[in-house]
Amino acid sequence: MKHRVMATVVVGAMAVACGEAAATPAPEVSAARIGAPTGPNAALYLTATGGADVLVGATTPVADAVGLHETTMTSAGAMSMTELDSMDLDGSLVLEPGGLHIMLLDVQPLRMGDTVEVTLRWDTAGEQEIEATVVDPADTVEGLTR
Amino acid sequence: MRGLGWRRPILMGMVRGSSSALLGVTVLLLVSACSGPFSSATAQSLEGVVIDPPQEKPSFTLTDTEGERFDFGAATEGKLALLYFGYTHCPDICPVHLAQIAESLNELPDVDPVVVFVTVDPERDTPGYLRDYLDNFDHRFVGLTGTSKELATAQEAAGVAVAFRTGEGADYTMAHAGQVLAYAPDGLGHSEYPFGTRQTTWINDLAVLAGMGATGSR
Repeated sequence: MKHRVMATVVVGAMAVACGEAAATPAPEVSAARIGAPTGPNAALYLTATGGADVLVGATTPVADAVGLHETTMTSAGAMSMTELDSMDLDGSLVLEPGGLHIMLLDVQPLRMGDTVEVTLRWDTAGEQEIEATVVDPADTVEGLTR
Repeated sequence: MRGLGWRRPILMGMVRGSSSALLGVTVLLLVSACSGPFSSATAQSLEGVVIDPPQEKPSFTLTDTEGERFDFGAATEGKLALLYFGYTHCPDICPVHLAQIAESLNELPDVDPVVVFVTVDPERDTPGYLRDYLDNFDHRFVGLTGTSKELATAQEAAGVAVAFRTGEGADYTMAHAGQVLAYAPDGLGHSEYPFGTRQTTWINDLAVLAGMGATGSR
């Protein structure tokens, strides 16, 4: 009985918080990381949380071009990359190895520990400046649970 | 084909939960009944996706980054070998696999496998380019290329999906097999490592596989 009362209070508090935050703020971006480039291309991963929005593109001074990509498994068991027009944020949007990533094409040499400025373009929130850290490619997998 | 690799988590969950000891025992019996000839205690400590029964090592010859012919079977005889098909323009899964293997080997100074990276993009991956790419990870890694036909033959021999080009223009990408194949010194493939394999799994399994010699389990 005590638990039920607690649960009701928590849900009430959450409802209030969500109501106050209804004015489309910029998504909160965390864990922005780039695997240190080993070839001409590199991948940027991040986690975005917030209300509904759509990631429509990104730019960074360290790459000639940037694309939104998804890695999927074909029916024959091959890993295939597809270019996307956008990525939907619906509460959360997770970019991680083997799934969604922002591809940096013809990327400049980057060293582990470097910080890279990236501008995300959201459909509703507009442009958002973030910083991504260059990490060992193996460390981009942190948090992968599959 | 896939044996304990996917059964193991269920088994471990039952044992850990142990709310019903009887049920745990039943599951154990079922698992051992299904595992057939695969009964090596050493192989059972593998954490990767176990192949049951183990697969023969594929036979193919390609060209290494020095321009020499490389006979995969002969070059890896009696040794632990890892085989992966990828390409250097791959930003996502290839560098993660290779970095994980390189770092695992740093933790295992006594394990010295032949790590073979076969390009599926011979047009862009020249031998020199392939060498520079692999040197980012470990100078010992072997890079192989060949004609499109030779590369397709090697992938078929290894039993993986044959890679194909996706996308248009100069920035095309390749769809390719995502798993790393492993062959123990006994010449058999006991397990494979799909994308998303944890570092702890690599470190455990490389040590286990290195001990699986031609005479069977230790």
